[in-house]
Amino acid sequence: MTTASWARLSSDAFNLALFAYVAAMVASFAYLAFRKERLHTVATVIGVLGLVANGVSIVTRGIAAGRTPWGNMYEYSSLITFLVVLGYLWLIEGRAKVRTIGGFVYGMAVLWMAMAVSFFYVGPTALMPALNSYWRQIHVTSMIVASSLLGIGCLLTIVYLIKAPAERRALERMRASTPPPIMGGAGVETSDPDAPPDYAGSADEPVGSATTSRKIGLPPSATLDALAYKFIRFGFPVWTFGVICGAIWAQQTWGRYWGWDPKETWSFITWVIFAGYLHARATAGWKGTRAAIVALVGFASLLVTYYAVNLWIAGLHSYAT
Amino acid sequence: MSGPVASAPSSLRRSVALVWRTLRSMRTAIILLLMLAAAAVVGSLIPQIPNSPQRVAAYRVDHPFWAKVFQAAGFFDAFGAWWFALITTLLFVSLVACLIPRSRAMIRAARAKPIHARELDAFPAFVERSVTLPPETAASGAADVLRRKHYRVELDAPGGSVAAEKGALREIGSLAFHWAFLVLLVAVIVGKGTGYVGHATIVEGYGWTDARFNYDGDLRTGRFFGGTFSGTQIQVQDFQDDFRTSGIPMDFSSELTLSAPDGSTEQADVRINHPVVFNGIRIYQFGFGWAPIVEVKRGDRVLFDGPVVLGQTTAPGENPLAQPWVGFVKLSTLRPQVAIAVRLYPDAGAYFRSLATGVPQPMTEANAPFMEYEVWRGKLLDNSLASLDTRFMHQTSRGLIGKGWTVDATRGCVVSGTSDAIPASLAGVTCPGGGGPATLSMAFPDLRQYTTLQISRDATVPWVLAAAILIVLGLLPALYVSRRKVWVRARPDGTGSILQVGGFALQRKDRFDEEFASLVDAVTTAAGGAARRASEEVSP
Repeated sequence: MTTASWARLSSDAFNLALFAYVAAMVASFAYLAFRKERLHTVATVIGVLGLVANGVSIVTRGIAAGRTPWGNMYEYSSLITFLVVLGYLWLIEGRAKVRTIGGFVYGMAVLWMAMAVSFFYVGPTALMPALNSYWRQIHVTSMIVASSLLGIGCLLTIVYLIKAPAERRALERMRASTPPPIMGGAGVETSDPDAPPDYAGSADEPVGSATTSRKIGLPPSATLDALAYKFIRFGFPVWTFGVICGAIWAQQTWGRYWGWDPKETWSFITWVIFAGYLHARATAGWKGTRAAIVALVGFASLLVTYYAVNLWIAGLHSYAT
Repeated sequence: MSGPVASAPSSLRRSVALVWRTLRSMRTAIILLLMLAAAAVVGSLIPQIPNSPQRVAAYRVDHPFWAKVFQAAGFFDAFGAWWFALITTLLFVSLVACLIPRSRAMIRAARAKPIHARELDAFPAFVERSVTLPPETAASGAADVLRRKHYRVELDAPGGSVAAEKGALREIGSLAFHWAFLVLLVAVIVGKGTGYVGHATIVEGYGWTDARFNYDGDLRTGRFFGGTFSGTQIQVQDFQDDFRTSGIPMDFSSELTLSAPDGSTEQADVRINHPVVFNGIRIYQFGFGWAPIVEVKRGDRVLFDGPVVLGQTTAPGENPLAQPWVGFVKLSTLRPQVAIAVRLYPDAGAYFRSLATGVPQPMTEANAPFMEYEVWRGKLLDNSLASLDTRFMHQTSRGLIGKGWTVDATRGCVVSGTSDAIPASLAGVTCPGGGGPATLSMAFPDLRQYTTLQISRDATVPWVLAAAILIVLGLLPALYVSRRKVWVRARPDGTGSILQVGGFALQRKDRFDEEFASLVDAVTTAAGGAARRASEEVSP
């Protein structure tokens, strides 16, 4: 096969993956809304199909360009999407058995891929000499892996921020309608007959899962919080390592390990905010919602590091656009 | 002592203690971290003088009011501003204030032995088993098991009691991470503060010495720079550039002879991504360009003889390699003063091909190079080699000169030289009767390349690297190791004993249950195995 046909195959697979993720997103949200087991199966099958197409797109892109396929923003985005969906299917659905947040993950994948193809598409080409260093490989790989992990962590945090207030409201409603046992009420042993059906499903865990019928809904906020922390705790050292490798590469290429170039500055900002998150999580009064907001600010900063710097702020990293 | 006198120092001490406590608190650290991030945002969104002085200048023209505000606030040099230094310093103090007591506590904990516990059933994980061995042997067996699992073990065999703990690496890692971060900050400040960075432009065959005035203003020195340059001599033997046929650059390298003031010399090949360290300075391949050798004479008097370093101004989206190279020869001793502007086309073939096809062709190789020139007379306003201000000048002639040619610059005609690569219609006319004594003649005997090298001195790079490595190494156990404590007590029960195992984990509690269960099994086996059905079993 010629370079051009590999490149075309890569593009086709990319589009197929994008459509598959859209379909998987719809099916996942439908599963969350209608709670039909079959919808989950459909979402998973389409999601895996999208993942395979995404992987094929990345590999064929590498063949077409004759190098590792992470040399520009388009390729980074494709790889991050792949890793996010892979991380979701493998770690969240497979290991943690949390199956209801797929719609959010596929939604993010769709956004990421759509950004890539509309703002950053470039044909497969060789790299400038400044990019020819094995430190580039290590730096870029770690940054992509870290972004995927932090991305999943922040997605979980978003769902947590949706879920936690709903749980609190449900708890308050329950306390208001049934006096605590010591006052003569039955406490959590009785389910609220007036509660809307979605409330009973979505807030089952903290308000007595024994009696409320176990229905599918968003996972309990404690699970979401713990999972989000796991992903960010994994992503943070990888991000740290990636930034350090970038500094080593910069020292080699530009003669200084750090120059407050916009990309460097924003990767530092992101690092500082996630460091703040890890500290916040270990501090009384910051745990929970406040820490979650810090994580979201960190994720916003990560997006700026990735996209805004390339689109609007000029710097040495602008070759990547 | 009277009241007011005594209360003054004690209230001072109280407020100092309050400030110290506030600085030590995690809340302060988090807020300082977020402030540091916010300060860096300012530095990335507003053009910075050290990174892009031209953009700052443009901003001053476009937004005079905001420029004044930003100037006053130090926003144009955020990373050098007093408030950035203040936040960093406070973060420093907060870190130190937090780290010193923590480090002391850690050293104390490392020296102290694990403490025996009495009421094991109060711990979150607790199991009781009957085993066949007597308390003393059972306890030492349990101690061996725990030691094999890398617990720090304190054994009181006669008392049948074992105390064990694991996971001190978490705190060690966390402290290593934080101290390393501190070392990193200090090393960066010292290194950047005492060092310098500049660029040297050297034409093939020429030399350059590392000294302040040779940087042509393109030099940045640190705040604590002592003023001593290395004095290294750099002789450029050759410059090589490799391009693909499509014009994509593949490699650049400069072949250098380096000599230090102490007499040591070295041959070095500086390439992209392959800097050379010599005599305390680092030398990087930074840029390159063309430098024609030009000789300008009036009659027999040589007015200028040497390389003219050419530059490019490329609009966004243009391939710079397809653009001509521009430079100036300024003759300030003549009255009126004279400037010759030249525009070099290194590859005549590629240039005329792009004229014919309309598709810009990269000019990467010297192939029948030629220059367009313009002669300006009047008053020179500056000595810049990169620009010419023609407000007080007028153009007197223009023409074309190929490599190896000599032209009469006054009349714009060719004295000697031809080229097959240049169409006759463009080559210009041959001077009738040669040049007179008052005319300005210009020769273009050779075309060379120049290399731009970045020269820098930063003494703390190895320290920064070491601190960075320690940051990663410390971070992993700080985030992943969990601290666990386990106690075993054996009390006599007939010929055997009743074994109690209790413990807890401070982190990653979900994983501890599994570990605890397998630990209990191993300890039971080491104590001779279960004597009968466990009398009571409590698990969390």
